[in-house]
Order: sequence, then structure tokens, then C-alpha cells
Amino acid sequence: MCGVAGIVRADRDAVVAEEVLRGIAGALRHRGPDGWGYARGPGYGLVSTRLAIFDVPGGWQPMRGPAGTLLVYNGEVYNHPELRRELGGAFATTCDAEVVLRLLEREGLAALDRLNGQFAFAWWEPDARRLTLVRDRFGVRPLHWAMLPDGGIAFASEAKALFASGEVAAAPDLAGIDEVFTTWGARAPRTAFAGVAQLPPGGLLVWEDGAVVAQRTWWAPDYDASDVAPAADDLSDLLADAVRLRLRADVPVGTYLSGGLDSSLITALAQQASDHELRTFSVAFHDARYDERAFQQQVATALGTRHHVVEVGLCEIADGFRAVVAHAETPLIRTAPVPLYLLAQATRAHGITVVATGEGADELFWGYDLFKETALRELHAREPGRAEALLDELYPYLDVPAERRGPAWKRFFFEAGAPGDPLFSHQPRITATGIVRAFYRPEVAAALASGAVPANGAAAGAASAALARLRAELPPAFARWSALERAAYLELTTLLAPNLLAAQGDRVAMAHGVEGRFPFLDHRVFAHSVALPPERKLGPGLREKAELRALAERLLPRAVVERPKQPYRAPEVAPFFGEHAPEWVAERLEARALDDVGIFDPVRVAGLLRRCRSGKANGFREGMALVGILSTQVWHERFCGLGTAGAWPAERSEPRVRLDAAEGITSR
Amino acid sequence: MGDTEVGTGVRAELRAYIEEAFLYLHPDVELRDHDQFLELGVIDSLGFVELVEEVQTRYGIAVDALEITEENFGSLDALVAFVERRR
Repeated sequence: MCGVAGIVRADRDAVVAEEVLRGIAGALRHRGPDGWGYARGPGYGLVSTRLAIFDVPGGWQPMRGPAGTLLVYNGEVYNHPELRRELGGAFATTCDAEVVLRLLEREGLAALDRLNGQFAFAWWEPDARRLTLVRDRFGVRPLHWAMLPDGGIAFASEAKALFASGEVAAAPDLAGIDEVFTTWGARAPRTAFAGVAQLPPGGLLVWEDGAVVAQRTWWAPDYDASDVAPAADDLSDLLADAVRLRLRADVPVGTYLSGGLDSSLITALAQQASDHELRTFSVAFHDARYDERAFQQQVATALGTRHHVVEVGLCEIADGFRAVVAHAETPLIRTAPVPLYLLAQATRAHGITVVATGEGADELFWGYDLFKETALRELHAREPGRAEALLDELYPYLDVPAERRGPAWKRFFFEAGAPGDPLFSHQPRITATGIVRAFYRPEVAAALASGAVPANGAAAGAASAALARLRAELPPAFARWSALERAAYLELTTLLAPNLLAAQGDRVAMAHGVEGRFPFLDHRVFAHSVALPPERKLGPGLREKAELRALAERLLPRAVVERPKQPYRAPEVAPFFGEHAPEWVAERLEARALDDVGIFDPVRVAGLLRRCRSGKANGFREGMALVGILSTQVWHERFCGLGTAGAWPAERSEPRVRLDAAEGITSR
Repeated sequence: MGDTEVGTGVRAELRAYIEEAFLYLHPDVELRDHDQFLELGVIDSLGFVELVEEVQTRYGIAVDALEITEENFGSLDALVAFVERRR
């Protein structure tokens, strides 16, 4: 796991200065704390920062293949030993990166289908002056890029390296920010920054001698089920194999244990496959409403893992918030990434740099309440009485606060969106999230508004450019899928990749040089989940993840298997008010600071702050609004404010790899 | 006279609540007692969830789903009349 970056110029003789490459490496140092390297030659410069996992002594990058092409590579291809055997011949390292490079040189992009893993890489073919950027199927590893004024291209794992290169200036993209406040994350290619794009999950881009010549997806989620339903035992074998592959590392591996079904299942399988004492890591909250430590302890004890707990209270969330925003590089909608940032910090402190987690199970096996709600809301259109009765039965199992069990909530719930609407499953969330957009300054609302948005800008969830783009980019097959398959597709593409795997995944883990691995996001597990009949996902009585539960019954304590699902959340308003609140919170939310950034309206924000200070902002919507506004202010200050130059000190250590074909040419 | 005082009290309480909970997002709006919340755009569908919950807890009224109409919840006048009728 690593950071990758590079600059390729349209001018084939231009030199990328070593100082620029050092600047880039400095900005990505957290991703690769073990060392860095670079390659440069006429018209190009590539950088790698390395977190050593396979072939710790060897395996430095950039790597040059026998055919003379170069690779900077971030991530893991878990089936690299099998691919290596297939390729045959002599290898210089035992690293997966070398296998990928050899495959690319031999087969070109056709090799991608054979890679099982999570990766983002750049492949440079100097003779053709062709740069190929590739991102893994689900978007586990990030990859950003920007066109340069001269027709060249810059790319990097994180946008901050683009800014550190001096080639790209950081400025807000209102449309990208508006996507965060619509579906909880800017969707590729969009980011929160103007002029900075990200590769979509399963995407690739080819730049050739001065222009982008191809942009497409090489993999996309497809719910057109196969004809044959998998046998009952298949998942057990498949998941065990997915876990076994993800325990491959030349360093010790641990798991994150939330106390829920998915991470417990991964931990149980990891314990079975591991030849040493497995380490488990958990977040515990001081506030009992968020805390799951009793379940975590139960699993750790039952499986006999060496268990570590990170205690998180209000102060920890407030204190970690700014660093998390800086790593996430986007405004946020929740504080939930902060405890995971602290968890990665503790994991690293215990000497563990690789953790497997349960991420992805809820999307593949329909675990989220959103799937139950979609099923109920769809039923309501046909049989309102039965749907309402079912909702009453379900309430004990749904994580909804008291005010969302009332009669008015039911009305809202059943009337939000029409079943024929492609975004039907997500309309309640989109509507709720619209609260943040109600705080825009009038001129910002006007700038964003398409014809359908009322002038007051407060029409939460009304037709917006963000939703129009989402609708327009749905794949043609979407129309054939069931309501729950559509919901799953939207969860994968609007929430998992842009938010859960990014701000709440890669960024907060890699902030401390910790790599997350996700057995459920093995593409074979995905294919299996698609082939399962719906009732083996959302089971009878709308019990979620039926197939996983059946598997878990054989491996885990009964109480863990049978407990109602508890969504992972963290306190949102309380950390930022009261005695313990850090001073910067009030400073960033002052009228002048809001005016400086120019996105949120000080008068409206002042009203929200009054409610927060008086303890009345208890609803989930005001929590989102506060986190959205505060994170935007922090994000803008960190990236777009004055004095951000020098924010990422240049790398001063000697590179472990220096492939320099540009020596003797005058730097510019 | 007692009824009027109660009426004034409920009206003042509800107005204060609506101003504090919803109108801060609409600094340009001067809400009159007969103004329709939906028409003005000051309370959206989820806002009504909060409003109904507030009426239930503050006045100890059990609101039935069928009662959540514009006639009962659509304006300050409507709200005051509903609360006085029901409590």
C-alpha cells in the first residue's frame, strides 16, 4: 500500500524538477511512511511513497519492466502468487506490483480482469508516451488527476499531492460540494475541487502524447443475475477464500471488530485461517447510545483474539475533526470517520499495518435499513395496510429515534418518492440531507439551481443538478433491475465508493499508514451475492442478510448473530459545543469566516448555532447541517485558504529508488 | 377570558417554537398567523414530522396519522385551533 503520483508533460522534452517530485512525495508521505522513490525522464516524472507489505526489503517503486515501461502502484493484488506462477520466468522481487507490471507488458489492459484486489496505478509507456491510469472495481484505492494547461496531465492518490506539485491550484467546485450535500459524496469524476477529477471505481483513463484518448469503465456492478442460484455452502467456501487471500502479507495482520455481524464473521474466518494470534481492534464510545463494546468483547473472547479498544468521547471527536477533513479532502456529512481515524492510529501504534474489515457486506447482502424501507415503501404502493402493519412490527429492529416512529414520520416515509422513480430507494435520505443545502447563501443557491429549484433554495431534495447527473448516468440495465437491486447499485456507487471507502475508509486509515482490506468486496463474492435469490438476502419478515446469518450461526456466539443491526454512528453536535469545545469551532463559524468562504449564509448559520448552543439541535438533520457547514469551513481553510503553501513539507530523505533518465537535462 | 388567555399562550408558544426551529432558515420571511407553511416553503415534509412531534409532546395530544392535514397543521391559526380543540 502506498501513495502514487506523477506529472507528464505535453512537451516531450520538458523536465520535471526533482524538487517538484520531492514536494509531491512529501504530501503523500503518510500513505507510504517506509520510504519513497521516483523515476523521471524526458517529459515525465513519477513518484511512489511506500508502505511495505509484500517483499519488505525489495519491492521499491517506481518499477521498470523488461520492456522498459514504468509502474507506480498502490494497493494489493491478492492472487499475485497464482498469476506469478502462470507468468513463469524470473522475477526481481516477490512483490505483487511486479506481477501486475509483467502482466500489463504482456497482455495490456486485458490483464485487468484477472486481478483480484484493490489497487490504483499508473502505467507509463515512454516510447508511446502513453500514460494509463487504473482504479479497482469498487474504488477502494483512490486516484485523482488534473489536466495541465499545456495539455499534460498530473495524477496522485490524493489531491493534496497535485496541489503540492505547484501545477494545480485548489479551489472549490460548488457542483462537487453540492453532491456531497445531496448523496453524501462527490461522485467520480467529480471532486470537491474545481479542475481536479477522480477516476471512477472500475475506471481507466489513457493519456497519449498530449491528450486524453480514452476514459471508460473496465468493470461495473451488474445485477442481471445468472440463471443458477448458488448452492448453500458456496458462500462459506468463497468467503473463507476471500479472507485467506486477504491475510496474505509479509507483515502481521489484524481485523476491525465493530461488534456487528459482518466484521465478526470476517474475524472468525481470519482466526481460522491465521497461523498466529489474531489482533482485533474496536472503537468504543463513552456515550452508551453509540457503544457496542459488549458485543465486541463477546466476539473477541469467543474467538480468542488479542483485543484492543480505543475509547472515544466528545473531546476526541472535536480534536480529530480537522485532521480528518484534511485527509478526506472533502466536506463531510457526519463525524463517523473520526473514530476510525483514531482507531487506525491505535492500530499502527500496536505495530499492525494491515486490517481486514466487514465493509461491503451491507451493500451486497442487503443489510442496511434502507433495503427494508425500500421493500416496505414499494409494498405500500400496492397494499398500504399491510405495509404499515409491517413497519410497526419492524420498528424494534430499525434504528430510528422516537420522533421517527410517530404518525407524521410514517406519512413522510410512505409518501417520499414514487416507486417508478429510479431514485425511489434513496428519496428519504436525499430529502433529509437537503437540510444542508438550505443553508447556502442565496447567490450560491441561485448559481446551483436548475430551473426546477425554487428560488429560496430550501427545497430539500428537489430536482438539482446533482440528481440530474446521477439520473442521466444510470446504466441502461438499471431499468431492468428490481427496486432492491437498484437500491444496492445506488448504495455502491453513491455511498460506498465516494464516502465509506474514501473519507471513512482509505483516507482515515492511510492517514496512519494502515491498509484496510475488504473480503466482501472480492468481485467473486459480489457475483455470488447477485446470483442469490432475493429472499436469501432480505429474508422472511424482512430479516436482513439471511445467507450471511446462516453462515454466522456456525461460527459466532448466538447473541451476536441474533442482535438487531446497529448502524455505526458517532456524536455530531455535542463535540463542538460546551466547555470542552475547541476555540477553532466558533472561529470557523463566525460570520466573517463564513463570508470569506462564501458558501453558507451567516444569518441562517447563526440560527443553527443558537439551537446547537441551547441543546435543541438534537435531530439527525441539524447534526448533518452542522457537520456539513463546519467541515466545509475547515476544508476550505486547509486547502483553499491563504497560507496553505508549505502545508506539505517536501520530502528531504534520499529516495530508495531513483530511475533518472533526465540527468544532464536542465531542470525547469 | 380564561380561554383567550390560553389561546394567546398557545399561539405565543407555537410561534416561538416555529420561529426558533424553522424560520431561522428563512430570514426574509415575516410569518403571519394565517400564512400557509407549505406554500411559503418554511416547513418541509420532514419539518412536519418535527412539528407534529412537538405538538404531541408539548400538549400531551395523541395525533392520528389522518389528522395530519393542512386544516390542522398548515398554519399558525390552524395549529392553535387544533391544539385548543384537542387538549
